[in-house]
Amino acid sequence: MSATRRLQKELGDLKGCGVRAYENVECDETNLLKWTVLLLPDKEPYNKGAFKVGITFPVDYPFKPPKIAFETKIYHPNVDEEGKFCLPIVTTENWKPATKTEQVMMALLSLINEPEPNHPIRADVAEEFQKDHKKFMKTAEEHTRKNAEKRPE
Amino acid sequence: MDDEDMSCTSGDDYGGYGDEDYYNEADVDAADDVEVTPTHSEEAEYECLTVSQVERVFLDGVNQLIARIPVNDKCARTLLEANQWDVERVVKLYRQDRTDLFRRSHIDARPEPKRKLSATSGVKAKGYCTVCAMEGHAELPHLACGHCFCEHCWKSHVESRLSEGVASRIECMESNCEVYAPQEFVLVIIKSSPALKQKYDRFLLRDMVNSHPHLKFCVGNDCQVIIRSTEAKPKRVTCLACHTSSCVRCGADYHAPTSCDTIRQWMTKCADDSETANYISAHTKDCPQCHSCIEKAGGCNHIQCTRCRHHFCWMCFGDWKSHGSEYYECSRYKENPSVAAEANHVKARRALEKYLHYFERFENHSKSLKMEEELRDKIRKKIDDKVNEHNGTWIDWQYLHKSVSLLTKCRYTLQYTYPFAYYLTGSPRKNLVSFLKTNLAKMRKYKTPKTHNWKTGHIFFRFDIFGLTKSDKIEIEEYYKIILFGILYLVYEQSYKPKSCDRLSHTGVGL
Repeated sequence: MSATRRLQKELGDLKGCGVRAYENVECDETNLLKWTVLLLPDKEPYNKGAFKVGITFPVDYPFKPPKIAFETKIYHPNVDEEGKFCLPIVTTENWKPATKTEQVMMALLSLINEPEPNHPIRADVAEEFQKDHKKFMKTAEEHTRKNAEKRPE
Repeated sequence: MDDEDMSCTSGDDYGGYGDEDYYNEADVDAADDVEVTPTHSEEAEYECLTVSQVERVFLDGVNQLIARIPVNDKCARTLLEANQWDVERVVKLYRQDRTDLFRRSHIDARPEPKRKLSATSGVKAKGYCTVCAMEGHAELPHLACGHCFCEHCWKSHVESRLSEGVASRIECMESNCEVYAPQEFVLVIIKSSPALKQKYDRFLLRDMVNSHPHLKFCVGNDCQVIIRSTEAKPKRVTCLACHTSSCVRCGADYHAPTSCDTIRQWMTKCADDSETANYISAHTKDCPQCHSCIEKAGGCNHIQCTRCRHHFCWMCFGDWKSHGSEYYECSRYKENPSVAAEANHVKARRALEKYLHYFERFENHSKSLKMEEELRDKIRKKIDDKVNEHNGTWIDWQYLHKSVSLLTKCRYTLQYTYPFAYYLTGSPRKNLVSFLKTNLAKMRKYKTPKTHNWKTGHIFFRFDIFGLTKSDKIEIEEYYKIILFGILYLVYEQSYKPKSCDRLSHTGVGL
């Protein structure tokens, strides 16, 4: 399996990347294809919590993209209730074998930090985000406090 | 021309050819000419090609381009494929901005990644491939962009893309690099695997044919013929090898007078049992550019078609580039008070009734067409008998054959008027009557004596078809046209009217 070598390298790279927002990565003890990243957004209203992101690599990785979804609930215009989101670089059509998980995490972090209400997945949240931003911030902060993980010291 | 009045499929977003276009062209010609020659208004001009003949068509284009601009044949092929095989267009773009043309045609990289390459050259020395994260590769093949990866990874990449049906658009493996792997590169990578090569060749031919505006695969089962036609209107082509007739524009069964878009809708509706059709209509949409059927399995409204790579909005079908932040505009429900008042299930029920009304008739004609083959056999036998009895010569009786052909042709068209009628919107009577009238006026110029009878449409369908061709000088094609107008009138007469259901039982279109 050509994935093993690459995944081991990527896991090491991600752990040592020095970016606090996604360097907390755990790999399933028995399965190198399953990772969990603790995402730490640095912008309000998500900067008070940590969000678990599950990454599942296919057996034919890196020739097929990994599947990524939030395991922690998040109130965000671009993430649905099941934790799924739309990230162009990990779609089957756009996927490039040389794309690294670190790049994917970077793209995800920027989507969380800067929501894109024009490409929403939850239209109601996007509408609130644009029309009643104050209310959105309040709801999202409340939601983060209730559902998010504790941020590591 | 009062084409405007006749556009019966109002509200059609596709802007395709209106249904009336089928016959108008020939009529206009006839009106202008003094000598009327019967034109085949439905037959497209075309030729049937084999794979090697098609290869020659491509080569012709390539040679034309090479003669005009200094590029090699492989490059010329890619440029033409990316630009609908329009030599003039490629030459123009080449002269305007060579770099931009090469980048847009995915032959060369954007300037940015090229600069970054110096950083990876140290890696290259160790034979390191970033995809498998292993060192010591003797060779690291790369495309024009210079991104190096090992042969094994390239092969896996090609295999993976082929499994998704991608052949001519296999991109470089580097993130954000849009350079496509040219044919000669891919062939070297997969040289050890005949199965992959076969698959690649097949998909590549498909992509090349699809990229050429004048080429289409014959739709017949297992037919290898490729049809070449410059016809832009939805006319009929018949494959010379398997005799399958199809529409030159959309590749479906020939469907005059219904338009390509309408017949696609109709066929989707009829293709399967109603549940499947409902599912398809509820969960999928067609790409506005290439009409591939797309199911949205999740995600946002920004859709990219995997076939033609067109970006569009799932809600309004607008091009995503010009979409900007108008998301809310297209997702807002524009309420129509009269429609909203009607209970949903009543609407659904009515829609189903209307559909079944037309579908039954469509199906009936389809069955009758099959039975007409028997009639043809009977007539053949009858002619033999007559000739044996020395009652006229074989040639004398050929008009009978012609008549059956005409009957079949009329029935076929009649069959396809039902989808046409099903999708009639607006004020159908006005449109249809004005359509018939306009064309009738034109028909008079054909010096056909009995056209004034069109109003009593039924008469047409009771006239003695065998007597028809005896009146000399009137070509069978012209009669066909007259009959078509009558048919359209009849279809209207029989069109679904929810309130007077008792009339619906009387449906026999007695051709």
